[in-house]
Amino acid sequence: MSEQQAEVTTDYEPRIVAFLCKWCSSAGSDLAGVSRIQYPSNATPITVPCTGSISPNYILSALKKGADGVLVSGCHIGDCHYIEGNFLARRKIHLVKELLGFVGIEQDRFRMSWVSAAEGAKYSQVIKDFVEDLRPLGPQTKVKAGRS
Amino acid sequence: MINLQDMRDTARNMLAKNEVRGVIGYRRSTNGMLAEPVVITKPEQADELIWDPTCFHNLSLYLVEDRKFLAHTRAKADLPIAIIAKGCDARSTVVLMQENYFERKDVYIIGVSCEGTGVLDERKLVKKGIRATNSAFDGDDFVFTTEQGEQRIPAREVMADRCLECRECFPKEHNIVLGEDKTGRQLDAPFTALKRFEELDPAARWEFWDHQFERCIRCFACRSVCPMCYCDECIVDSTSFPVTGQTTADEKANRVKWIERSATRAENMTYHMTRVLHLAGRCIDCNECERVCPVNIPLRLLNNKMEREAREQFGYEPGASIGGPSLTASFLDTDPGKFIR
Amino acid sequence: MTKKRTGVFVCHCGNNIAATVDVKKVAEAMSNEENVVASEDYVYMCSDPGQNAVLQSIKDNKLDSVVISCCSPNLHEKTFRDNAKRAGLNSFTCEIANIREQCAWVHKDKAVATEKAIKISRSAVRRAGRDQALEPIAVPVTRKVLVIGGGIAGIQAALDIANAGLKVILVEKLATIGGHMLQLSETFPTLDCSQCILSPKMVDVSRHENIELMTYSEVQEVNGSVGNFQVKIKQKPSYVDPELCKICDDCAAVCPVVVPNEHDLGLTARRAIHIPFAQAIPASYTLDENACLGLNPVRCGKCKDACDVGAINYDMLPKTVTEEVGAIVVATGYDLYAQEHMNELGGGQIDDVLDGLQFERLCSASGATKGHVLRPSDRTVPKDVVFIQCVGSRDPANHCAYCSKICCMYTAKHASLYKHHVPDGRAYVFYIDIRSGGKGYEEFVQRIMEEDEAIYLRGRVSKLYRKDGKVRVLGTDTLTGQNVEIDADMVVLALAMEPSKGTADIAKTLKIGRDKDGFLAEAHPKLKPVESVTAGIFLAGCAQGPKDIPETVSQASAAAAKVIGLLSQPTLSHAPTVAKVRNSHCTGCEMCVTACPYNAISLENGKALVNEVLCEGCGSCSATCVRSAIEVKNTTGLQIQEMIEACLA
Repeated sequence: MSEQQAEVTTDYEPRIVAFLCKWCSSAGSDLAGVSRIQYPSNATPITVPCTGSISPNYILSALKKGADGVLVSGCHIGDCHYIEGNFLARRKIHLVKELLGFVGIEQDRFRMSWVSAAEGAKYSQVIKDFVEDLRPLGPQTKVKAGRS
Repeated sequence: MINLQDMRDTARNMLAKNEVRGVIGYRRSTNGMLAEPVVITKPEQADELIWDPTCFHNLSLYLVEDRKFLAHTRAKADLPIAIIAKGCDARSTVVLMQENYFERKDVYIIGVSCEGTGVLDERKLVKKGIRATNSAFDGDDFVFTTEQGEQRIPAREVMADRCLECRECFPKEHNIVLGEDKTGRQLDAPFTALKRFEELDPAARWEFWDHQFERCIRCFACRSVCPMCYCDECIVDSTSFPVTGQTTADEKANRVKWIERSATRAENMTYHMTRVLHLAGRCIDCNECERVCPVNIPLRLLNNKMEREAREQFGYEPGASIGGPSLTASFLDTDPGKFIR
Repeated sequence: MTKKRTGVFVCHCGNNIAATVDVKKVAEAMSNEENVVASEDYVYMCSDPGQNAVLQSIKDNKLDSVVISCCSPNLHEKTFRDNAKRAGLNSFTCEIANIREQCAWVHKDKAVATEKAIKISRSAVRRAGRDQALEPIAVPVTRKVLVIGGGIAGIQAALDIANAGLKVILVEKLATIGGHMLQLSETFPTLDCSQCILSPKMVDVSRHENIELMTYSEVQEVNGSVGNFQVKIKQKPSYVDPELCKICDDCAAVCPVVVPNEHDLGLTARRAIHIPFAQAIPASYTLDENACLGLNPVRCGKCKDACDVGAINYDMLPKTVTEEVGAIVVATGYDLYAQEHMNELGGGQIDDVLDGLQFERLCSASGATKGHVLRPSDRTVPKDVVFIQCVGSRDPANHCAYCSKICCMYTAKHASLYKHHVPDGRAYVFYIDIRSGGKGYEEFVQRIMEEDEAIYLRGRVSKLYRKDGKVRVLGTDTLTGQNVEIDADMVVLALAMEPSKGTADIAKTLKIGRDKDGFLAEAHPKLKPVESVTAGIFLAGCAQGPKDIPETVSQASAAAAKVIGLLSQPTLSHAPTVAKVRNSHCTGCEMCVTACPYNAISLENGKALVNEVLCEGCGSCSATCVRSAIEVKNTTGLQIQEMIEACLA
């Protein structure tokens, strides 16, 4: 516990793993880049083919490896490059999110968003908001492996 | 009221006529009051079968075991196997068939309706300080034989929570059925225990689960008893990875270990959360996992949570149809999406 | 796992990356990674010397995988994969770490940007460490093309493709092809007659042996992928057999129902049974079932009685056909932003306030007034006409944020046409700027100002209202700072162009993206302007963004060239990053079969079997499988797990 508290008092930068679908959200984050929209560097993107390919294991694994927040972002409903991958994701991720909340993990640690390839500004806003919401929560220790 | 003689006669006749290979049912255990699962294969064994409030085991587990045994011995079964199935057991049998684990023609379902009651929660009985040597159904009561003589207790006082909240105590999927359809006799509203727990704030919920996950000793009894945990290799268990003739070097090298086997809180938690997610839409609330847990982790809460989400958000009932799509392999346009930004 | 020999190449991108990311530090950090045997940085990795350096390093260091830390994979993944292939590497063992768009361009602090660039690069190194060498899957192609939209863009694309010897199905929603261009009178800057240049092309389409024309039809469903799309097209019944129709007009003469004529934008009327205009292709009448009294001889039946050749058939049913095509060109065009949105300019309620297309019909020889400019309310010759530019365009707060690009030019043309028809009239043009980029465009506008004496007023109009039989125009001339009041006989609004109605639906049907304004999105704004994000689907014309006729024709021909190039290959290569079943783990539960959006998985002997040609590699199967028995090649759980680790280390 003492170690955790020490961490909180220092300048805490939340570490986010962002799973982005290749077609919409990753392209949206590219557009944020092309438009030079600045946003915090806390989120490291991992591009996957589709939100539908995101297994709950990815999310739990990221939390276990010490991510303070996990973002899943994909195409808007109806816009999925793979027709219906995001519909499958919506259902699966809903269950993951509910379960995390149920065992008492802060709801703000996990987030899902739809960011299209045209929404560079939205992507940057999603990251900004996420970082802001994570800051007051301090480091994630609940799922993180290893005893403190 | 289920007539035990009917059950025994049915089993005896089917075995005598060589219609089934065996009958999976319950018999008296050597441990006093409790029933235990049994597979009888001869007509004369039919009289071993019993039916009482301690028949809480989900016998569909033995359908899984049977199929595994057949696979390992490369035996071919030309006859079906019969199973005594309560409403819940029948639902899990349906899920197994939905997942093509075996075909409908491979099983003969002798359904038993949990008419006025359900089955016993042994722990509730122990809490009442009753030490019985026998138990029986009698209308809305359970009747226990104790050293002090017969003791009659309203079933709802010692019934398992899942039975109190059961929405479907009648085995819809069956070849024959014993007892009447008393669906709707539900004593507590579904998810009553879950709702009670959810009234806690997140911090209190975390404190609770933190403690529970800390206690798990990773004996995997929950997994062993679960009919849905029929995978040859569990996600936590790369060591038991079956190396067969088909296993390529690549496959061996590319095993993922999402969860470590060490019994630390974080790993325990990931194990249980992953298990619950894998059971979503497949768990039919037989609650065997919680019953066998040696450290009494209330696993039903987790499974119930997923079951309620599936039911209320996606209109999905596990074990409702053999031909229907699985929960997480399907979707509706109306699935909730408000949580997405 | 056999130990990999990975090379990492960090690009400066001139200063684009190097200004915010310490590229040397990234290269150095990567050299410490397991499996990395070479790590370098270079100013422009995508340049010839840059690519050669990678090539050389692959040979010198016997690399079996490479990671290029540079711009988005959308830009140069193919470049670097091709380059790796040239060096004898399998192109699927080349990974891109996007440290420009997703890092250098969005962060200012060099220390944090460098740290993030290291994470992104490391993540790619881990992924490359487990990449398998894969060979593309050969897929046969259907040498047939679907063109959606029969305007000038669709016509041009269809003709170009058909002339190259490929079969084309041209689908048009309306009863005739031609699109908005048919409604124009003359075209800027040459003032040649729109119909005169378009009609021959329309005839070519109808007579071309390689073109199958489906008017009055809509695309309902599209499945499959590049090379092999299955499209379902629904043709509405026209109730007239075009083979028999002699376009004699006997039917329309007896039809009792009169409705506004869409072709003249409501300035004239037509009957329920009608031909959109005399030179329509196909040359046949169409019975508008919404206007008709009931397609029933008991209710009316006059047209059927009048038709000598028996071309009219009230029992004609909608027809749905399914076609296989190898590529699709989408040319669904534009509509004008509705006047109803412009409340400050009367919201479409004021007489004699027209939109640009209506004015075209007034000027057109085949139009409402047979080419005489008469105002609609009283058919008098208008002496004061006010043209207003940028109506609905360039107004991010209230209307469309974008410039509609053609309005400056067509307004100048309108002013000119008007002055030629009414030499003693006065043409006023309200404008914000004049945008006249294009060959001969600036000269054209100058000529209208100087020779035709159109009065250009720099400023916006704040209000329009009807007063004493005229339209009172209140505006400002920002050059003189004066308020301007004009009592106009007629006002013409240069309304913004927006994607045609139904663009959203067709984008959904085709699974292609739209931009923030609703136009169809191109794959890359500069390098792939005619490709959609979906392979095999191309864009042409105003569906992709506002543009004039020459630009539309160029884009249509460009799309056609892309299609011809694509379908000139005997087979297409399908990405080999498809799902693979781990038979030892598969229990045959069928969840993946249900989840697969492409019906690419079936159950064979109790195990899932992937049809690699149908599989698009989306991974829905792998996330659904609870047994880790199916995974997409080169995006395996193990790779993702190691990437997660790399991001958090």
